[in-house]
Amino acid sequence: MGNNILEMKNINKYFTGVHALKDVDFSLLEGEIHALVGENGAGKSTLMKVLVGIYPKDTGMIHYLGHLFNPLNPQYALEAGIGIIHQELNMMDHLTVAQNIFINREPVRGAGLFLDKREQYRMTEELFKRLNMNIDPSELVGNLSVGKQQMVEIAKAVSHRLRVLILDEPTAALTDIEISELFTIMRDLAGRGVGMIHISHRLEEIHQITDRVTVLRDGERVGTKKTSETTRQDIINMMVGRVIYEQPKARSMVPPDSPVVLRVDKLNAGKLVRDVSFELRKGEILGFSGLIGAGRTETARAIFGADEIQSGTIEINGVPARINSPQDAVQNGIGYLSEDRKRYGLAVNLNVKDNSVMASYDQFPKGIFVDSGKISRVTGEYVDMLNIKTPSLDQLLFNLSGGNQQKVVIAKWLIKNSDILIFDEPTRGIDVGAKSEIYTLMNELAREGKSIIMISSELPEVLRMSDRIIVMCEGRITGEFNIEEATQEAIMERATIGRQAALAGS
Amino acid sequence: MGNSNVSTNRMQQFKERGLKYILAPAALIILYVFFGIFGRNYFSYPTLVNIINAAFYIGFIAMGETFIIITGGIDLSVGTVMMASTLIGGVALKHGFPMVPSLILIILVGTAFGTVNGLMVSLLKMPPFIATLGTMMISMGVGSIVSNVQSATFPIRGHEGGWFKSIFLYLSPSGGMIPTGALLLLVVGVICHLMLSSTKLGRYTYAIGSNIEAARLSGVNVKKWQMMVYIISGVLAGIGGISYAAIYTTVLPAQGQGFELYAIAAAVIGGTSLAGGIGTIWGTVIGVFIMSVLATGLPSLNLQAHWQTFFTGIIVIGAVLLDMYRNKKASEVHIDTPADVYKKKESERIAELKRELVKAKSSGNSSRIAELRKQLSVLQGEIRATYSRMKAEEKAAKARIREEERKAERDFEEMLNKKNQE
Repeated sequence: MGNNILEMKNINKYFTGVHALKDVDFSLLEGEIHALVGENGAGKSTLMKVLVGIYPKDTGMIHYLGHLFNPLNPQYALEAGIGIIHQELNMMDHLTVAQNIFINREPVRGAGLFLDKREQYRMTEELFKRLNMNIDPSELVGNLSVGKQQMVEIAKAVSHRLRVLILDEPTAALTDIEISELFTIMRDLAGRGVGMIHISHRLEEIHQITDRVTVLRDGERVGTKKTSETTRQDIINMMVGRVIYEQPKARSMVPPDSPVVLRVDKLNAGKLVRDVSFELRKGEILGFSGLIGAGRTETARAIFGADEIQSGTIEINGVPARINSPQDAVQNGIGYLSEDRKRYGLAVNLNVKDNSVMASYDQFPKGIFVDSGKISRVTGEYVDMLNIKTPSLDQLLFNLSGGNQQKVVIAKWLIKNSDILIFDEPTRGIDVGAKSEIYTLMNELAREGKSIIMISSELPEVLRMSDRIIVMCEGRITGEFNIEEATQEAIMERATIGRQAALAGS
Repeated sequence: MGNSNVSTNRMQQFKERGLKYILAPAALIILYVFFGIFGRNYFSYPTLVNIINAAFYIGFIAMGETFIIITGGIDLSVGTVMMASTLIGGVALKHGFPMVPSLILIILVGTAFGTVNGLMVSLLKMPPFIATLGTMMISMGVGSIVSNVQSATFPIRGHEGGWFKSIFLYLSPSGGMIPTGALLLLVVGVICHLMLSSTKLGRYTYAIGSNIEAARLSGVNVKKWQMMVYIISGVLAGIGGISYAAIYTTVLPAQGQGFELYAIAAAVIGGTSLAGGIGTIWGTVIGVFIMSVLATGLPSLNLQAHWQTFFTGIIVIGAVLLDMYRNKKASEVHIDTPADVYKKKESERIAELKRELVKAKSSGNSSRIAELRKQLSVLQGEIRATYSRMKAEEKAAKARIREEERKAERDFEEMLNKKNQE
């Protein structure tokens, strides 16, 4: 590791009503991988957006390569050698890999009248060879897996003679194998002197890959440390300012005589739900573990009627249920909290009230009108009960943090009084404090007799919350554990047994 | 948060929001007054009646259009459906249908077209633009076919069935005019407003427009409610058709095309977002009246009617630009500089002095009053001078910093260029 290539000093940034960055300092060395961690809303992404000129800073200085640097926009920053890879990839699905990489600077021939496709492919291949990536330049980006798309994005960034690369939660949507491939590429880039800023929620990764770690909390820098000299607990403590222990659940909380509320038998749907059969009991939290792409979300969507079912039966409280649409599922007392809140869970430009009662206007009649007084009252009660932090019930959802948005979705299903709740990645993109609140809430709901299916990619979360755990792989159920006998290793083994074993019926 | 530098925020937000509601009505009033001053005989009762008459048919279809646009859809067929319904009603009249059934027929035809649109959009999942483009052409064709490409004439006042004109404009025997249609437009407006704001249908209309997938996954019967808004639009097209017949008596088969664009323009001027999820009936009604004030006002300036389209276009673009500007403004933060902080603090002192002055006045102490007045004027002058000095200094400092930054950028670019050349 060499010289300081980047130095940010006393950065301040204000948004409407929020002092998002408070005198933040940050530095990056040549060839360093520097972790930037913090709860959601701590200011990580904001700081990076200031660095690449997406937001103008309000005060403070940035020195880059020893010069005062004032990024005007991301394009300017990129030309100067600072690239960012966002959490949500910005690729054009209908263009090829090579076209995506060389967009806006395509090689031309014939006096600049024609695009030189062959040269473009050659340049792309050369780039991939340099980065040890194995991707076909002529493939359409839409046909690639998320992991591969991300690599294309990295290749694109690197092709700009990069000195600083920012990766905003690069591993969030990747499988373990893809993550290790990504890390190989990152180490390789570090070896070439590229400084990298790695933003992540996954603390395990930080020890695997980074040299230093900077922790932000509420827009302030808590500290910067050498990663090798910190423990996971240290980082968590810095992030939240208090000690959090994650203990697995010791034993099932479900009474032995608890009735079965949901029985799924030989369910098939799409490509990723193959002969899925399981039972869910009253008051139970049933964890669904597995790698991304194992078919857990697809199973949930099929049960909820969001996607078409090819075959199989669903019984609710012992009675066969016909579920052809989400509407049928909701009538049958099922509520679904999607992993992608903004796309499937919320209307971000509607307010807290409208979102909370979206599923249950039928419960608020007042003649031919809806009873807005009662809606306000009931929503208010749930806002208090779930501790949703919002200035008013008329606040639009996009002004709320991820955790509070998630609570509004929970309120929606509680107001609807759904008995079976499917929580799909309930704590994704949610800060540690709100996370533990949601855990407490789920436990309370189960105690009150709600039945919960929890899909989660975080093993500690699965072990902490579930009474029973089902493991999926390649669209099939490959394991089932009572909580008493479940270990991370055992679950991981079942989740990765691979396609052949999964087909063989485990 | 809790930072005094951003405490003005709430106030500003309030201002922005207030502006949003006031701007369109204000524009309407300004336009009206403008034509009143510069136009010939514009401030007169007959002109007012004319404005209202010019608003009807667009008013009804624009309300239906508003429902659809809020769901994130669009209805290109409203204008031609309106005329087709009217033509069919007129043909029925000619063939001896009584008045009341003919009027009901007009509404039914509009409803039928709305239902077809709704079916295509909700059940067949066709893009609304394409589906309603189809019905736009079909309805125009149907109107011509049924009427055999002839105009349909509705009864005039005094003749049998001529009473229906009084629904929209009542002429008293003494020659006075009462625009009863304004009342009808108001009633329908109130009903539409209540539907949007206070019924399940309305709440789902916004939900679907904001995020159709989230609505579906909340168990909302999206198809049913989509269907409903297109049917509402059809019904309103029928009512619009009747009002058109009442005002203009004769209906030609070639008319109606382009009305849908005025309806869309009215909604947009009134703040309805084509992206869905945002909009109000009142905004649309204001939009309609802005256009009819233009339509009646421009001729009074000796500008012919086609100038109306020109200016309407400008207003539509202006409205959207303004909306974008407001949204951008609303998300900006104003940070108090030291000068602002100083002014705020001093204004408290002034308020204190003023309170004392009031006290002194009530006690009738004249020497104290004079003294306080003097103090007050001195202080005010001082504050004004200091504030403008501080502001000027801040401005200069800002300019200096900007200049330095520019220089840094230039240096940086030079360095990069040099590096790249190496």
